[in-house]
Amino acid sequence: MIYDILSWAGYATLVYFIVMQAYMIGLGLRSAAVMRRVHHLDRFGRVSEMLSSQTSPPVSIVIPAYNEATGIVDSVRSMSIVGYPRFEIVITNDGSSDETMKALIEAFHLERVRIPYRPDIPTAPVRGIYRGHGAVDITVIDKENGGRADALNAGINAARYPYALCTDADVILDANCLVGAMRRVVEDRQRTIAVGGNIRPLNGSRVELGHLIKAGVPKKLVPRMQVLEYLRTFLASRPAWSRMEALPLVSGAFGVWKRSAVIAVGGFSSGHMGEDMDLTMRLHRHHIDNDIPYRIVYEPSAVIWTEVPETLRVLKRQRIRWHRGLMTAVRDFMPMTFNPRYGKVGMVTWAAMFLFEYLAPIIEFVGWITIPTALLLGALNTTSLVLLLALAFGIGLLNSLLALLLDESYGYFNSRADTIRLIVMALIENFGMRQITVVWRIRALIGGKGTRAWGNMERKGVANLGAGT
Amino acid sequence: MNATTIGFIAVGVVLFVDFALLLGLVALKTVHRRRAERHRLRRARYVATLSRHLASSTHIEPIDGGAADDDAFLDAVIDLRNVVTGHDVETLTGIVDSLGLARIQEARLRSRFPLGRRLRAAVSMAEIGDESTARVLIEYLSDPEPEIRIQCARGLGRMQHTAAIDAILERFGLEEPWVRARFADTLVGFGAKATWPLVAYIRVNLSHDENESVIEAIRVLGTIGDREVGPTLSGVLRVASDPEVQLATIEALGAVGGPLAIPPLKHTFRSADWRLRAKSAASLGHIGDPSINLVLSSGLVDSNWWVRRNSAAALASLPGGSGLLLDTLESEDPFARDAATEALADCGALAAAREREDAGVATADDRRLLDHVGAEETVLA
Repeated sequence: MIYDILSWAGYATLVYFIVMQAYMIGLGLRSAAVMRRVHHLDRFGRVSEMLSSQTSPPVSIVIPAYNEATGIVDSVRSMSIVGYPRFEIVITNDGSSDETMKALIEAFHLERVRIPYRPDIPTAPVRGIYRGHGAVDITVIDKENGGRADALNAGINAARYPYALCTDADVILDANCLVGAMRRVVEDRQRTIAVGGNIRPLNGSRVELGHLIKAGVPKKLVPRMQVLEYLRTFLASRPAWSRMEALPLVSGAFGVWKRSAVIAVGGFSSGHMGEDMDLTMRLHRHHIDNDIPYRIVYEPSAVIWTEVPETLRVLKRQRIRWHRGLMTAVRDFMPMTFNPRYGKVGMVTWAAMFLFEYLAPIIEFVGWITIPTALLLGALNTTSLVLLLALAFGIGLLNSLLALLLDESYGYFNSRADTIRLIVMALIENFGMRQITVVWRIRALIGGKGTRAWGNMERKGVANLGAGT
Repeated sequence: MNATTIGFIAVGVVLFVDFALLLGLVALKTVHRRRAERHRLRRARYVATLSRHLASSTHIEPIDGGAADDDAFLDAVIDLRNVVTGHDVETLTGIVDSLGLARIQEARLRSRFPLGRRLRAAVSMAEIGDESTARVLIEYLSDPEPEIRIQCARGLGRMQHTAAIDAILERFGLEEPWVRARFADTLVGFGAKATWPLVAYIRVNLSHDENESVIEAIRVLGTIGDREVGPTLSGVLRVASDPEVQLATIEALGAVGGPLAIPPLKHTFRSADWRLRAKSAASLGHIGDPSINLVLSSGLVDSNWWVRRNSAAALASLPGGSGLLLDTLESEDPFARDAATEALADCGALAAAREREDAGVATADDRRLLDHVGAEETVLA
């Protein structure tokens, strides 16, 4: 009896893994069709005509900043030359204990002003508002510490324009990212309430004065693994989800939100570890429950670059935080899971998040225990096991190669060294790296000390990233 | 066939696909890199050759007949077309005509090539086309591919082919919002030539249930800014019942300006709908006639926050408006006070007050303003 249970549990785990990878490949193939079109439009469609258009909707770029004194000025300068006809920058200093506020005041000649700040979304108390009148309108909200979500909410309150690009203080915006994202808004201004962007790791790239000079693949394994992960996520999954208009997540590092829609659902949830996913899902629920036509989409040509963790210690903290955010979201939106009332969101994308993101570490962990035990007790046929493992590896590799092929349309990683590094990573990531992330996610599920804090990212800062990082 | 055999076959197939993808990836990267390098080199050579042609009328270096089929040559022509002026444009056009470049692009546009190639042809025709290609561009305004329609309209706009205005407007109501927005940009480029066709379009389509294209047409009129459309827009404002149409018309009236635009805006400034009041305040500010200062000052005590904010901003831009805003600093409404302060900061009155205070010549009004800005009492969250 125990043999049968062990045997079936072992096989079930492997079959689950294969089904998950097959789902990913299905998404990848669908994404490929979407990306092909995006590639042509990027090349010849002259999206940049929007730059000179007088009818493009204006955008507020909202940046939360907490203890970012070393990099905030370079970041804001790099953002201030993003290509778009009309935009303002709203920075929220979230009670920084360093000299973030002083650096901003000095660099942008800010003056304390009184503007009619209206707290449409409740936030921690605002201490003052500063404004600079240079080539780009810059407003700084100086408030007491309340966390990233709270800072974003304060920025949205102060934003003057109908759309808010919520991003981070340590990212580099591609020159055409805003045009790319806003193109999706203009396509359907009535229904579009959020547009997600394509986030790419900055590590390994050459950066000068807050601008990306040349993209590259990092030599270190930890950030290189994340390059592959991000490619799979942003090129091989999200275009397909977006095509279904059932995107379950607009990433916090780059999301254009319709201000009125965000205010209608109460803004970002303070204290939530996955506030971006939470807001995306609340927007889905609110619009479906109230029969309001809407769409949340993803734009692969809206590229931004962000620094990813370089060490396992920092990566561990990040992944635990992400998984705890997912756990909270799964709990909060459980009534939507497999619920036909919520259409493709409930039945496909959110259901897949539950099955292949939330449950994945549990099932994989169970497999680690049952498969070797079953093998030792002779309950599992060695040949079958090897075949299933080979199949799982082969499908996983296929998924990564598909993402690399899709990335070719951007042509960022052109050198032989970069190509070899990425291919080697695709071959080896299933041997060790993947298993480590499962352990971290199990740790997040168990909870307890060390899993509830945000922790420091320990970034080098946009300004300090150099070649060969 | 037993399960193990099926397993072997499945693994074999997957690994074979992996291997094929791997080879494909390496080959694709190599081909892309080499093709890009060769394209860059050829383009540079063509730019050099064409530049020599432009520099010397006697220089007759033959251009390879096959160049017309080469995308690198096309890019070189477009590069130069965007920088040369006067006689050089004619020389370049002559070269393009002699090689039959436009005909080749037309053939590509008419072909059943994949999207990328047809789109490239449309972009090229938009960039290098002349009156002789206008007919094709008008024909392809109804192409099934939206981006090709956009490029055709852009090309027609670039060559200022006025006969295309009606053709573009015929498609205006049928288009999806993205294409319509790009068509609107093209119409703006036509300037005053597009004014009366747009007016006719609005008059014909205003009563229809679907007003999106009318709203866009009204916005285009506002952006073109021809004052003669003031009475037409006033008429639209009188008969339109859709608030979105009214809002667009109010904005356009503000952009068009002139004395004829003021009475209808004063009327909508008293509307029951706060959105119309707020938009009217902004438009009155754009017109910039000081005779409306008193009307706008009534907006400072409006029940709606946006109306108060826009009225304050409008007053700041009008002669004599600053005095009314300074009076608002005594208001009991904290948002009105802050709206007035913001407007005074935006128009430079705050910076001027600070300078005068630093120079020791601050007036009583300066002190009132600076005291309010520096006050610690907070109306914030």
